[in-house]
Amino acid sequence: MGGLTRNKTLSIMALGAMIGLLLLPIVVSMPALAGGGGTPAAGGPPPDVAKKADTPEAAKVEKGRDVYYKTEGIVSGAPAPKTADNPQFYPRYNFESRVLLWFANQQHLYYGSFVLAVPIFCMIIEFMGIISKDKAMAKKYDQLAYDFIKISLTAYSLTAILGGILIFTFLTLYPAFFGYLSSIFRPVMHIYALLFVAESGTIYIYYYGWDRMKEGLLKWIHVSMSVVLNVIGTTLMFLANSWIGFMMSPAGVDEQGRYLGNIWHSIHTALWNPLNVHRLLGNMAFGGGVVAAYAAYRFLASKTDEERAHYDWMGYIAMAIGVAFLIPLPFAGYWLMREVYAYRQQMGITLMGGLLAWLFIIQATMIGILFLSANYYLWQAMGRMRGAEKYQRYIKYMVFVLVCGFLIFITPHTMVMTPTELKAMGGQQHPVLGNYGVMSAKNGGINVIITTTVLSFIWYARGNKVPMVSWARFGNIFMGCFFGMAYINIIWLAIYGYYIPANVRVGLSVPQVATTLSCLFFMTALNLVMLKGAKHSGAIEWGKISVRSQYALIMLATAFTWMMGLMGYIRSSVRLFWHVNEIMRDNSPWAYTHTTGFAANMISFNVLFFWLTILFVFFLATLGVKKAPVEAKVTVPGRVPEPATH
Amino acid sequence: MEIVTNPLFWLALLGLGVILLAFVALKKKALLNNVYVAVTISLLIAVAYFHIVDHYMMDMQGLDYWYLFRK
Repeated sequence: MGGLTRNKTLSIMALGAMIGLLLLPIVVSMPALAGGGGTPAAGGPPPDVAKKADTPEAAKVEKGRDVYYKTEGIVSGAPAPKTADNPQFYPRYNFESRVLLWFANQQHLYYGSFVLAVPIFCMIIEFMGIISKDKAMAKKYDQLAYDFIKISLTAYSLTAILGGILIFTFLTLYPAFFGYLSSIFRPVMHIYALLFVAESGTIYIYYYGWDRMKEGLLKWIHVSMSVVLNVIGTTLMFLANSWIGFMMSPAGVDEQGRYLGNIWHSIHTALWNPLNVHRLLGNMAFGGGVVAAYAAYRFLASKTDEERAHYDWMGYIAMAIGVAFLIPLPFAGYWLMREVYAYRQQMGITLMGGLLAWLFIIQATMIGILFLSANYYLWQAMGRMRGAEKYQRYIKYMVFVLVCGFLIFITPHTMVMTPTELKAMGGQQHPVLGNYGVMSAKNGGINVIITTTVLSFIWYARGNKVPMVSWARFGNIFMGCFFGMAYINIIWLAIYGYYIPANVRVGLSVPQVATTLSCLFFMTALNLVMLKGAKHSGAIEWGKISVRSQYALIMLATAFTWMMGLMGYIRSSVRLFWHVNEIMRDNSPWAYTHTTGFAANMISFNVLFFWLTILFVFFLATLGVKKAPVEAKVTVPGRVPEPATH
Repeated sequence: MEIVTNPLFWLALLGLGVILLAFVALKKKALLNNVYVAVTISLLIAVAYFHIVDHYMMDMQGLDYWYLFRK
């Protein structure tokens, strides 16, 4: 009893310490943040400015106008360096420095995304375990959350190592640019480092305290720690996003790049919020994909039915979480693009109608593959449920709808052709297919795909259940009519767009999105209500799923990884020959846009490298499991996977 | 036949659908699972709802959803 009280006290103290660590960097940085008209650093102005201030002629305060906010501020930083193509500004090996930086950055981002996403999964799953009334299921959820964090812990070390490599790469290959960026974001970088320390401490206590904090109040404290962990992780990501936001759409500086003393302006740039939302959703979808691939790998390597059942279940949960975040991702991407257009129309045109437009066709293909893989997995997963056969005959129609949406979504506006081909086709646009290469059709295509995925999820959820509510027939008819009308509305809006001017047409995507989201929220809610007290036509036979489904999960994860690499490249290369858009010019020999082929090869290399290293992480996780199987079976009843009934 | 471009009409239609649903569910429960009644009420609600979504989502952006029809 005394031991338990001591544990409780220690846990509360630990949690308090964690919260303190979380708040400490903010308190420490207060003078810098509060001193709006001050300097980027917590202390006085930079030495060069301070020296000048001593002289009488410099006593007059120089003011500058913010390039984005258009407000006046006291100049408190040096102008952005004007670089030249020489080793002083761009020290180099006998190799393209940009490619080295690209590699270091991408690998750090992959691992960073993974270790930010997985603790969020753990938080959700651990919480599900706590609130679950079924004790066996509660233990399964708890074990699953533990498995997730175990994978994440090794990846966490790799993230830190890769972060170090990235900083060294910046310092050694792009010292002028990195010096300028750190002169603006000095306090932010310090907060970032302190938060990283806080996150490390929290994650280790969270992981190693798992067994000691498994019951009662301690369990709640444990799950609260995961909240703290995720708040820190998300803040870290937001801070890092402020740097890339500044590079794309600078603010808080004048036209010469001189810092104007308001760090919030430099953080809160035009693209910061859309980037935050897009990256958060993207990380979650990516993390889900990687964990699902891990589960698929373990499923395929399983020797026993019990193992297969466990990893089948794990793969399903990870996939479901990943796809739940994938569904809103295109909308967040759309918001980001709208903001890019609003910030600089030319930047938007470069992205979607010019130099980088073909990369968006590749991106559309990847998004289509993601949704097709997720749907295919769900249809395969219905095979392990008795009663789901009733939906099998409709799958061919869903395939038809998905393929139509997919083909429209990936149709390019114009083709790269030889003069002979151009002549044979009668112009840059195909007379029929060319009509599908516009946003109006593409928005229709992707919304049809997403709505069909929602329908697949609803069918999966009711695969082995028969609704027993008295109004079940009405509910089914209502759901059918609602989905039917949603499809009609999406397609209608896509067609309508061809008949109205561009300035009105551009707004049609919003009702299309609202239609899809209506299906997602209302129909999922209706389905849940209808399935209350539903009759089970059979248990889900975990583990009895086709091997093909597991390859679909691996496909899903690979497509996520490739698409992340691609989108990162697109976002970064839209700055063209600028380090910081319109402020600091890139004068290195590599300030040009790579060919699509080179970029695709580089992305593939990054994907391959990531997967080879993450397989090593998976392998390490396997070693841990092999060491204590007997003990786990004895001390934790229910740890052995049991087929779930719901 | 011209389409009604006044959002109040579609709001009224949605209201009618919901009232019909409530009436059937509370007073004539046996009719609720009748296919014709269910399809009528469902279509009424769904059609009106999506018109309202289209109208207000465009209106929110300062755009006119009925642009073509008004012309």
